[in-house]
Amino acid sequence: ATKRVGTPKRNIHMSNIVEEMIFDKQDVLSTPKLKSKRSLAFGKEKDIEKILLEVTPKKPVEETPKRVQRSNSKYVKDSETPKTPSQKLKMIRSGELTPSFKEREGIEHSKLSKNDLQLARERLHVSVVPLSLPCREKEFENIYTFLEGKINDKCGGCMYISGVPGTGKTATVTGVIRALQKQVQEDMLPAFDYLEINGMRLTEPRQAYVHIYRQLTGKTVAWEHAHALLEKRFMTAAPRRITTVLIVDELDILCNRRQDVVYNLLDWPAKTAACLVVVTIANTMDLPERVLMGKVTSRLGLTRLTFQPYTHKQLQEIVTGRLGGSEAFKGEAIQLVARKVAAVSGDARRALDICRRATEIADSSKGKEICVNILHVQQALSEMIASAKVQAIKRCSRLEQILLQAIAAEVTRTGVEETYFMGVYTQFESIANFVGGILVPNTGQVLRLCSKLGAERLIICEHTRNDIFQKILLNVSTDDIHYALRVTPEATQ
Amino acid sequence: HRSFHRNKYQNARCILNSGETKKLPGREEQLEELKQFFREHLENKSSGSLYVSGQPGTGKTACLSLLMHSPEFALSLQTVYINCTSIASIGGVYKKLSAELKLKSKGRTEHDNITAIQCYIQNSKDMLLVVLDEIDQLCSSKQSILYTIFEWPSLRNARLLLVGIANSLDLTERTLTRLNARCELKPKHIHFPPYTKQQIVEIFKSRLEEAEVLDIFPPVTIELLAAKVSAVSGDVRRALDIGRRAVEIAEQQKKAGNKKVNLQKFVMEAEGNIENLCKDILEPVQVTHVTAVVNKVYSASQSLHEDIEQSFPLQQKIMLCSLMLMLRNQRNKDITIGRLHEVYRRVCNKRNIHSLDQAEFVGLVDLVQTRGILHIIKKKEPRFGKVQLSWDEEEVTAALCDKQLIASILDDTASLNN
Repeated sequence: ATKRVGTPKRNIHMSNIVEEMIFDKQDVLSTPKLKSKRSLAFGKEKDIEKILLEVTPKKPVEETPKRVQRSNSKYVKDSETPKTPSQKLKMIRSGELTPSFKEREGIEHSKLSKNDLQLARERLHVSVVPLSLPCREKEFENIYTFLEGKINDKCGGCMYISGVPGTGKTATVTGVIRALQKQVQEDMLPAFDYLEINGMRLTEPRQAYVHIYRQLTGKTVAWEHAHALLEKRFMTAAPRRITTVLIVDELDILCNRRQDVVYNLLDWPAKTAACLVVVTIANTMDLPERVLMGKVTSRLGLTRLTFQPYTHKQLQEIVTGRLGGSEAFKGEAIQLVARKVAAVSGDARRALDICRRATEIADSSKGKEICVNILHVQQALSEMIASAKVQAIKRCSRLEQILLQAIAAEVTRTGVEETYFMGVYTQFESIANFVGGILVPNTGQVLRLCSKLGAERLIICEHTRNDIFQKILLNVSTDDIHYALRVTPEATQ
Repeated sequence: HRSFHRNKYQNARCILNSGETKKLPGREEQLEELKQFFREHLENKSSGSLYVSGQPGTGKTACLSLLMHSPEFALSLQTVYINCTSIASIGGVYKKLSAELKLKSKGRTEHDNITAIQCYIQNSKDMLLVVLDEIDQLCSSKQSILYTIFEWPSLRNARLLLVGIANSLDLTERTLTRLNARCELKPKHIHFPPYTKQQIVEIFKSRLEEAEVLDIFPPVTIELLAAKVSAVSGDVRRALDIGRRAVEIAEQQKKAGNKKVNLQKFVMEAEGNIENLCKDILEPVQVTHVTAVVNKVYSASQSLHEDIEQSFPLQQKIMLCSLMLMLRNQRNKDITIGRLHEVYRRVCNKRNIHSLDQAEFVGLVDLVQTRGILHIIKKKEPRFGKVQLSWDEEEVTAALCDKQLIASILDDTASLNN
């Protein structure tokens, strides 16, 4: 009997990935193995099974036609039709179904309708990685010669790259890989495989094996199995083995207590048969010495490279490079951003984000000229490198302000940072009496004030059940309190 | 001509990799001892256990894999090699072992595997050699697995040679104290001492001779390299790494110089004397190359000198200076991020520099931590995290004192107190 089947219920795991289901008219409802097994096991239920078989297909027949019509326009394959959720899962695991996103229905805006600022904002987005990274030529050269040498020599090795976030580590490495792949296409270099894993994308360090194996073969297997297969691949010599380049991002996440994953990843390159080159990336400069075991550090080797934070000149060059020839930014505006960011962290992402925010501010200000000037940048900077605490203290109610003053006074009186509610309450009373015109609240009310300030993180306090013995700590500096309260008009009265 | 000389660098790089090798100069003594042990037990058909210890990179695994593959023992012994880091859990070692021996166990449990292995050990006719690499991974609270394994050689009719490899010198004494009670259970101990300077020189020479590229390393550079490495760790992987890096640097420098050479060549070809050029085309690794690599590896605060000049963000410099100021002038070395932040703010205000607020400041301290200068002991609140200096106090001060602004902060004791 040839009957159509309905859409399998969408799996929970796949909720964010919309799959294109393809159905054929000739779909046969072949009884899945599981069912036949069960029917054998429970002989008595055979009849029910039969009934079920007859009954179930009817519903789908009414449901499916829409899908069939839609998919008819596209390619139709018999083998790619999952019949049940478990079959679909199987196909996903074996890599036969590729995950795809649902496409947007509206048409994208054309580039012509955008003004200069919008174009600049698009170019300044962090995700738009330029083809050649400015100011990282030396590091590029360094990694390139290392990898080129390893691929030419056909021997394995490790490299450790470190640097604070936003200094272009991953972008440079992927850039090198792209350049090498181009060389391969032009037959200047032997071919190589390229794999990458990111420690942050793994739920558990051992999932690294699964990810590596999936990139090699497209199949998803359990980690024990993947590990055994990978070990087999790297330990045994194969005549036509090509070099494999493995990029391990966020290495510090892969370190568990046993450190077996890191050990294995770094031990394989030492095998002559493996032809594996591992490039590890992390933030900490001294991670090998601080975290890794002696034997792992020994295997990691001494080929290291540190990415220094960008200086203000480099940041300026990066932003102007992104903008191209656009006139959307004033020169001094870029310089201000670059100097402010370089003084703190030297993070390129930060600089680009502030620039983007500045274009947004300029856009909303509706100035006559479409250009980001130094005032816009200053506003963006004050938003992003903001200290909201003084503002928060200023906006507090009068009693809360007095409470903060009381805590500060208690700290200066005792000389210890940790204060008790009892002492604070005494201070509170005396300050309130001094200011005058305030009905002094009882301890219960002051405790409420305390927990409110604690929720705002202006102070750090214990649970209220400790009552008058609870410890209170200031989370702002005493200078901040004095500054905020001196400027407000009420305090001067 | 040029391709030939380019290959010399390449050959040197290839031969200095830390993969498996056939020759192990500098380990003759240990090899002989191991061979003696195997031979004795082979002749007597008796079982025994052995524990091999040594620092990483002293050639333990290399020696044993060499013996396992040598024709003398490969024929008369059935060998099994297991790296204990590659098993899923500690108990999985039995499963792996029975899989390596191709045993059929009754069930899937750990116990079934143990009985299958014990049965095999007691009944087999051949000698069996089991090498367990990185055996310290099998340590657990009760040590039941290690005890079970080390008791196998004393089983009746057993013909088992058990070899455990690990880094620590006293693993068997420390963790397997019960084995001391019975002398026949106690494993024989062979220690692999770190390589001496002379041994590292020999390793380099033998390797380079093998590839016929001895002329790339002048004897002085090898001596220097070996002296540096043997003084610190005696780890041959490090030595080979440094050697390889030196070759890479030399090659890079030569490539950079090639442009000049090409020009010269052009001129010389015009003049007709190519021989003059070919003489000096191979540039051996210089002492400066090796010292450059070694200095980069073995010195921490020296890099600070360079960094301060180049790219150490200003706020990070001020933060570090404030910390040094507090460490130098306060008796209480217990510095929290909150206290550091207050001093930092006063320092900034005095110099009319915009100061960061606390949330940003915590991130700033974290960034400096990645350089290894500081260490933060995390507490429940970020404000109360403790800041500790990991580098030598005086060295850092010396490095910081160079600049005027920084030096002025270090003298500014007034901002310490309100």
